Amino acid sequence: MSLPAARQAELVPQRKPKNQFWLSSIGFVAPGVLLVAVVLYLPFLWTTYISFTEYNGLGDPEFIGIENFRDMFADPAFLNSVLNTLYWVIGTIALPVGLGLLIAVLSHGLPNATLFRLPFLIPYALSGVAVGVIWSFVLQTNGALSQALVFLHLPGSELRWLLDAPLNTFVMIGASTWQGAGVNALLFGIGLQSIPKEPLEAARVDGASGFTLFRTMTWPMLAPLTTVVVGLSIVGSLKTFDIIWGMTKGGPGRVSETLALTMYKETFINNAYGLGAAVALFLTVVTVLASILYLRRQLADSRSI
Amino acid sequence: MRKKTTLAAAVLTAAALTLAACSGGGDGGDGGDGGDGGDPTEAVLSFYTDKAAWEPSFDDMNAASEGTTATLEFTGYSDPTAYDAFIKQSFRTDDKPDLFTWHTGDSLAQLVDEGLIAPTTEIWDAAIANGDVTEELAENYTYDGEQYCVPLNVVYWVMYYNKAVFEENGVEVPTTWDEFMDVGQTLVDNGVVPLHQMNIIFEFVWFQAILAGLDPDAYNGLSDGSVSYTDPVVVEAMNIWHDMQTDGFFIDPGVTTDPQTLLQTGEVAMAYFGTFFTGQLTDLGMVSDTDYGIFTLPNVSADLGDTSVVVETGPLCVGAGSANEAAALDYSAWWMGVDAQSAWSESRGDVSFNPGATVTDAALAAITEEVNGDGFLQLRRYLEATPTPIYTVASEQFGAFVTNNGDPMAVLEAIQAEADAYWADN
Repeated sequence: MSLPAARQAELVPQRKPKNQFWLSSIGFVAPGVLLVAVVLYLPFLWTTYISFTEYNGLGDPEFIGIENFRDMFADPAFLNSVLNTLYWVIGTIALPVGLGLLIAVLSHGLPNATLFRLPFLIPYALSGVAVGVIWSFVLQTNGALSQALVFLHLPGSELRWLLDAPLNTFVMIGASTWQGAGVNALLFGIGLQSIPKEPLEAARVDGASGFTLFRTMTWPMLAPLTTVVVGLSIVGSLKTFDIIWGMTKGGPGRVSETLALTMYKETFINNAYGLGAAVALFLTVVTVLASILYLRRQLADSRSI
Repeated sequence: MRKKTTLAAAVLTAAALTLAACSGGGDGGDGGDGGDGGDPTEAVLSFYTDKAAWEPSFDDMNAASEGTTATLEFTGYSDPTAYDAFIKQSFRTDDKPDLFTWHTGDSLAQLVDEGLIAPTTEIWDAAIANGDVTEELAENYTYDGEQYCVPLNVVYWVMYYNKAVFEENGVEVPTTWDEFMDVGQTLVDNGVVPLHQMNIIFEFVWFQAILAGLDPDAYNGLSDGSVSYTDPVVVEAMNIWHDMQTDGFFIDPGVTTDPQTLLQTGEVAMAYFGTFFTGQLTDLGMVSDTDYGIFTLPNVSADLGDTSVVVETGPLCVGAGSANEAAALDYSAWWMGVDAQSAWSESRGDVSFNPGATVTDAALAAITEEVNGDGFLQLRRYLEATPTPIYTVASEQFGAFVTNNGDPMAVLEAIQAEADAYWADN
C-alpha cells in the first residue's frame, strides 16, 4: 500500500533534521573516538605489528613473521614466567581475596567495624614499589624476618626468602596480600552491608546460624560483589610488576619473573622490542580471555539464580 | 541554521583538538639560542643524562665553562632503562638531543650504525696530540676508523678495603694472588667476610677480575668470539671463583645492604669496585687513606708481565643533526681539556681521563698514576666489551651462579650457546 503523494512530501522534511542531528552527533563524538583511537587502538596495532618484526628501537623494524613467537615459546625463561604468573593468579585469589573476605565477615556487625578494618587498609595507600622495598628489608638474608625467627627460636631462619624459587614468588605474593587484603575487606564490607536483612532473619528463624548461614545465604547474596573483586584480582595479578620489581627485579637470574616483567626486560633492557611485543600480545590475549571466560561464567551463574 | 552552527562548532572542536595533539611534540625544538654558526659561548645545549644525581656537578661545569663555551640545560633521568628508551625515541623526532650521555660498547655501536652520532675524530686527534687523553682510551670510541663522542668519565676497577678491619686481623695489602688468598683465608678464619659481591647489576665483576688476571688474551678473545667460554682457561677462571665462593670468601648475595655501608661497618673487609665507589664512601663520611684504602688486584697468574686492570668509560655524545651540533662539538673539545677536567675531578671527587687534570683525592691520584704507568695492562669492562645478547645471558647465568654456586661448566655452556648463535650471525 503506497501513501498518497502529499503524505510522502510531508514526511521528507521531517527526516532531514534527523540526518543533521546524526551528523552533528558525529562531530561531538569524534574528538573522543579520535582520542581513544590515537592513545589506545593505534599503540595496540603498532605493538601487534612490532611483534612480527626484529627491532632494537632504532631504525626500521624488519618483518620476520612468527619467529618471535616461536622463540618465545621455546624459551625456558618465558615458560617459567608463565608458571610464576599462574602462581600469582592462584595466590592472589586465595590470599588477598580470601583474607579480605574473612576480615569483612569477622568484623561485620561489630561496633566500630571500620576501626577494625582501617589498619588493613593503610598499606593500600602505598605504591607497589614502596611495598617491595620495605619487604625486601624484611626478607633479605639475615634481614628482619630471619633475625626475628632466630630470636624466637623458631625454624626457618636459614631460608633464603628472596633467592630460591619458587619460595621468592610465594613470599612476594605474601607481601602483595599485606597490601591488597584491606581494600578487598572494604569492598566485601560494603557488600555485606548492602545485603537485605529480611532473608537473613528468615534463615535464622529457620535455624541457620554460623557457617551454615554464611554458606547458604550470605555467600550467594555476595556473589555480584565477589565477581567484581575476583575479576579485578585476576586482571591485577596477571599484570603484577611493581612489587616484584621492588623486591627481586625478577631475579636471581630470571627465576621470579612474571609475564609483565619478561615483557619489560625483553623490550627495554635486552632491546628485543619484537620479542617484548610478542610477550605483550600474549599477556593481553591471556588477560582478555581470562576476563571474558570468567565474567561470562559468573554472569551466566547469576542469571540462573 | 542553529543546527548547522552546532555541527560546525563540533567539527571545529574536533579539528582543533587533533591539531593541538599533533603539534605538541614540535614546540620543544627551539633550544637554538646561538644555533649553528653563532657564537658558541652563547649557545644553550639541550643536555640529557641518566645520572640525575650528578646535577650539582654539571652546574659546576656551567660555572667553569662560562665565557669559554656553551652552557648546558640539564635534564636528568634516574632510571637508566627509561632513559635509554627516551634517547632512542628522541632520534625519531625533530627534537634530537644536542648532547647526551650513553654507554660504550654495543650500545654506542648501534647508534653509530644508524648515523645518529656526530663524529669527533678531529677532536680526538687534537686531544691525543695535546696529551689530554691516551690512544688506548680512543679504542673505546672508534668505529670503522672514526671516533664518536668524547669520554664523560673514566673508572678503574680496583679493590677497596677497610683499614681498621685489616689492622684488627693483622693482614697487610696483598701484592700477589697467593697473598690475596691468604688474606681472605685469615679473615674467614677470624669470622670476617672478606669480599663483597652482588647477584644483580655487578654479578659479572668477579668473572672479569679473575679471568683478566689469569689470561688477558682469553678475556679479550671472548669479546670478539675468538675464544670460547668453554675453553680450558675460562673454565679454570670459573673454577677459581667457584672455590672462593665455596670457601666463604664472599658475603651472602641475599644481603641487599649498600656495599659502601657493608664496607664501613666491616661486614665485608674488601669490595672490588670502580673508582666511583670513592664518592659513595665519602658520602658516608669515610676518609680516604684513613678509614679505607685502595689497591689494584694482583694477577691470578704470576707469569704475566703486566698487572691487568679493568677500565670502564662512559661517553658524552653529540646528536647528528641536532639544533646546536656545532656548538655541542665545540663543548666536547673543551670538555677534553685540562681546565674542564680539573673542574670535573674536583666537583665529582673522582679520577679523570686527562693525565694533566688535578685529582684532589690523594688515593685516587695515586691509583690513576699507577695504572697509567708501566707495568699495567688496561682492559675494557666486561659489560661494554661483550655484545648485548651474550651479556644478557651471561648476567643471568652469573647472577644464578653467585646465588647458588652451581656447576661452573653449566654456566659457561649456557653462555657459549648464546655466543655461538650470536657469532654465527655477526
